[in-house]
Amino acid sequence: MTQRCSRAGKLLVWLAACAEQDERSRADIARVCAYGLPSADLEKICAALIQTGKNRVYKDEHIAPEAEAEDFLARLARGGGYAVTLADADYPRELRAIPDPPLALFCAGRRELLCARKFCIVGARVLPAWAQATGKAISAALSQRFAVVTGIAEGGDRAAIDGALPSGNLICVLPCGLDVDYPASHASLKREIAKKGLLVSEFPPGMRAQKFSFHARNRVLAGLSQGVLVLAAGQKSGTLITADRALAYGREVFALPHNAGAAQGVGCNELIKQGAFLCTGAEDILSAFGMQADGGHPAELTADEQKMLDVLRLSGEEHAALLAQRAGVPVWEAQATLASLELKGLAVRAGGNRYAPLQK
Amino acid sequence: MIAKIVCYALQGLEGVPVEVETDVAKGIPAYEMVGLPDAAVKESKERVRSAIKNSALLFPLGKITVNFAPADIRKEGAAFDLAVAISLLKASEQLVGARTQDTVFLGELALDGAVRPIAGLLPILISAKANGYTRFVIPAGNAKEAAYLGGAHIYPVRTLAEAVAFLTGSANIAPVAAAEFVPRAHAHRGADLKYVKGQPVARRALEIAVAGGHNLLLVGPPGTGKTMLARCLPTVMPDLSFEEALEITKIHSVAGTLGEEGIVSERPFRTPHHTATTVAMCGGGNRIVRPGEISLAHGGVLFLDELPEYKRSTLEALRQPLEDGRITVSRAGGTFTFPARFMLCASMNPCPCGNYGSADKVCTCSPAEIRRYRKKISGPLLDRIDLQVEVDNVPYDALTSAQQQEDSAAVRERVNVARSIQNVRFEGDGIRTNAEMGERELASFCRLSAEGEGILRAAFERMKLSARARSRILKVARTIADLAACEEILPAHVYEAVSYRLGDSLE
Repeated sequence: MTQRCSRAGKLLVWLAACAEQDERSRADIARVCAYGLPSADLEKICAALIQTGKNRVYKDEHIAPEAEAEDFLARLARGGGYAVTLADADYPRELRAIPDPPLALFCAGRRELLCARKFCIVGARVLPAWAQATGKAISAALSQRFAVVTGIAEGGDRAAIDGALPSGNLICVLPCGLDVDYPASHASLKREIAKKGLLVSEFPPGMRAQKFSFHARNRVLAGLSQGVLVLAAGQKSGTLITADRALAYGREVFALPHNAGAAQGVGCNELIKQGAFLCTGAEDILSAFGMQADGGHPAELTADEQKMLDVLRLSGEEHAALLAQRAGVPVWEAQATLASLELKGLAVRAGGNRYAPLQK
Repeated sequence: MIAKIVCYALQGLEGVPVEVETDVAKGIPAYEMVGLPDAAVKESKERVRSAIKNSALLFPLGKITVNFAPADIRKEGAAFDLAVAISLLKASEQLVGARTQDTVFLGELALDGAVRPIAGLLPILISAKANGYTRFVIPAGNAKEAAYLGGAHIYPVRTLAEAVAFLTGSANIAPVAAAEFVPRAHAHRGADLKYVKGQPVARRALEIAVAGGHNLLLVGPPGTGKTMLARCLPTVMPDLSFEEALEITKIHSVAGTLGEEGIVSERPFRTPHHTATTVAMCGGGNRIVRPGEISLAHGGVLFLDELPEYKRSTLEALRQPLEDGRITVSRAGGTFTFPARFMLCASMNPCPCGNYGSADKVCTCSPAEIRRYRKKISGPLLDRIDLQVEVDNVPYDALTSAQQQEDSAAVRERVNVARSIQNVRFEGDGIRTNAEMGERELASFCRLSAEGEGILRAAFERMKLSARARSRILKVARTIADLAACEEILPAHVYEAVSYRLGDSLE
């Protein structure tokens, strides 16, 4: 069923999907929209774009923008999507506040999430096992209070997705059209998110991910959210752009602390130096927003497990054999104890028979 | 006059009797061979002619017909030479009164009359003995192999002349003395666990794998000693029994890979290169069917180094033999079944660059690359590998607690204890080790306490384990309990088994 849309909404959809706009015209439109919804002004802008001609991307110029938008919306609906424009009341308030908000968001999934409290979790595509596990745990905890906003790549995005997907309070913002499988390996994951959570893209269907679209997407990630947590970021990670945008929009920035010198965490440590909140668990984020963390009953541990956990926390990420040596047990007993800690969410396997402690 | 001499042809691992009938009739000199001989057998004409001449014997003049019966089996190879020569001599009345009717003749001839050793002697002797033959004339070069038959008179000959002298009674040949089988008598020195530095986790996994007959996957960066660990596997496996040794020797005898010793006294360790074809791996051949690597590894270890490099089709072909313990090869020449009950040990890098999980080196692979690399190994094959363990390069100096590196013999003792527990458990069940347990055995021998079930459930939720992983964890936990001589599977055993499910957490 094609969604019903106001005249202004149709024009916005037309502008977003069928015309090429630049940052400046977007800013103009956003300014116009800030004072109510004067469709007459929008019409003027549309007419100007049509006249210059070159900005119009496709379609016959004898067809009126509204008709073209209707056609587009019908096609979007056939693919299970819908559009939320600046003219809609449930266009996210936070996103409306940024200088150049997307004119329309093309979505698939739970529309009500757009109006929920939103918190963004991002991280580099390759990150240490502990950061991945910690990110997943934080995402799971935050998804009880927030809609978790993230991208759809491997690594940090995946940690956030894995944590929040079971609750469904998850918004994934794509750097490409809704129907484009990027990355290809996450195609089935994407369908699951559309079913349980919400997929969002400011790009019309069919558009492939490009360098600029990642930048644009990162601004939406930051713009949607009340805060951003960076799980891992190298010196020149794209996630730093998201953090940078968040700062520019006046949102809170959080970062996981990494070992000094760890290449995968340089960006995070740099953020903390610049004043980002140091975050080691979901409670740090919740308390920053004046929320109480769920008490969470600590896992019951046997004496052996407690001892191994103490050793692990003292040692940091370490090899099972050395942990066994420090705990004074044979290595296979240490393996068993570490496996039990892993199942209880207190440790994580870091590859090469190494284990890292997790906070809980 | 017509002479009949018994010889044996090889069909797979079995010998079948072949009668060599020779008729020397008057007429224009001719020399014909009938009865489905292949090229190598037909060529024996010239070898036999020269060998007889050069042994100061007389090659008969006349119309010679040599027939191989039964005529419907294809005869291959040169093992019939001696039988053809003897039958020619008998037909031309040069062996009057010789005792040939109950004797089996085996051997290839050289032009100068020397008798050369043949491949597949032991399986032939075993089959012939089962058919009631107890008197054999064989090449001296095969004497060591024949020494393990027992209960037969086996006469080794170096030349055709010697054979003739023996048959006519003008010379005496001492029969092959029965040899006593000593396990590991000819073990290859070098591999021993005491030379493996560090690697406590992998050593433990090795011990569990051997104790329960589980297949093993070693994952680790290049140069961490995966191959060296694998080479230690035969050294910790239980000693071969004589019956097992004979079975293995039969296969190696047929394949022509039997060493000087004449018997396989140590469990085989086969390392086919990753360019090996499916036929090389599973057995086959044009007409004569030879055992492949998996049969040569029977009773021992098949080690596949750099598992993802093998052709997918070759790896998939291993699945059925891994289940059945044997392989059936069908060719134009017939259908043959070879035993192939081996332990599979494979090694691979954790990622294309090899540094994933390394403490000091940075892995440059993207998650997608790593997944693609690991996807080269199919799930069903991984299913059959119960233990997946990381081999790492922890610096040896870091483990300074003067941990004495155990040698293979010490580990083997514990393995033997665990195996004897399993022997009692599976008495009359038709299986030998925990790894071979089916659903029925799992239900009766691997019952878990409520706590153990809870651990498994938690593992499934947390590690997203597949349903099939459950039985693997249970089997490994059973073996760990056996190593601890524990009747019940304790929670710690389940936890440890879970820690060896590397592949599932990576999938």
